[in-house]
Amino acid sequence: MRRIHAKLLAAFLSIGLLGGCASKSYVVLLDNPDGSTGAVVIKGSKGEQVVDQSGHGAALDGSTRAAPVAAETIQRDFGSAMAARPILPERFLLYFESGGARLTEASAALLPKIIAAANRRPAVDVSIIGHTDTIGKAEVNEALALQRAQVIADLIKARGLKVHALSVESHGERNLLVATGDEVSEPRNRRVEISLR
Amino acid sequence: MKNKIMALMLSAPMLVLAADSPVGFVKTVNGEASVSHQGKAVRAEVGTPVFAGSVLRTAAQASLGVTFKDETVMSFGPNTELTVTEYLYAPGQGKLKMGSKLTRGSLNYVSGVIAKLQPDAVSIETPTGTIGVRGTHFLVNVGE
Repeated sequence: MRRIHAKLLAAFLSIGLLGGCASKSYVVLLDNPDGSTGAVVIKGSKGEQVVDQSGHGAALDGSTRAAPVAAETIQRDFGSAMAARPILPERFLLYFESGGARLTEASAALLPKIIAAANRRPAVDVSIIGHTDTIGKAEVNEALALQRAQVIADLIKARGLKVHALSVESHGERNLLVATGDEVSEPRNRRVEISLR
Repeated sequence: MKNKIMALMLSAPMLVLAADSPVGFVKTVNGEASVSHQGKAVRAEVGTPVFAGSVLRTAAQASLGVTFKDETVMSFGPNTELTVTEYLYAPGQGKLKMGSKLTRGSLNYVSGVIAKLQPDAVSIETPTGTIGVRGTHFLVNVGE
């Protein structure tokens, strides 16, 4: 009995939110691709609302509290937009031996997988960002990180990857994956990040 | 001589355009869609660049998908208009900003690195209210 009650209430709330009208302006929160749920904050002329539950929505003018939105309504209003979603971007990390631009064996073995993943994407847009650990001077590491990124860019081009756009950058020792003090050898910081979009 | 000066004057803004680098690319298109930049509209195709200031539009029964540099993914249903009002992505220098304006239609939004590093740097304006993004996947509909 209580369950029926809750269902009726949910249905009532969703009708209330959309007012039975297809043209209402509103936002709906969904699960993130990784399964977690974030939140959106609405600031409208009629108030401020937070939506933090998946499948809940609220009007953009801030006049209604967050409430469940029926799956059919989501499909009707957003089916086309959701179907047009591009393949989600993908990231890879490649690691280097200390002090140079030589890939670790395990990372070198990962290259074919990265190239295959890039080739599956339409008009693939690639960023390659080089990093170092904190051994050595910051200026030297700036150059070393760029050299690492460039080595990877050359490698993937040599293996026949056709990129629509490519950027090669250095973050030197400024963007550590694992926080360390200065002059610390840390294999996880000697890396190149590849973003495939 | 006069012609030469004219040609120079005309080519100067082109140089500025060329220096402007894309902030994303069109990845999916169905039906009639366009990307307008500095008042000039081009038909959207897979690979069409999107810049800060670009206006994205879809016609009736059309849809469009764009992936941005920071891995934000946006896709649009029919009769939609979205302007990329601001886009800054230089995480190395801590410069992050992503502003858009949805004036009509439907949007499917999967947030990227900017929302992860600096959530308050991301916002979506609509005619009736502004959406603040706390690192997430959501849908927005703006009715007529």
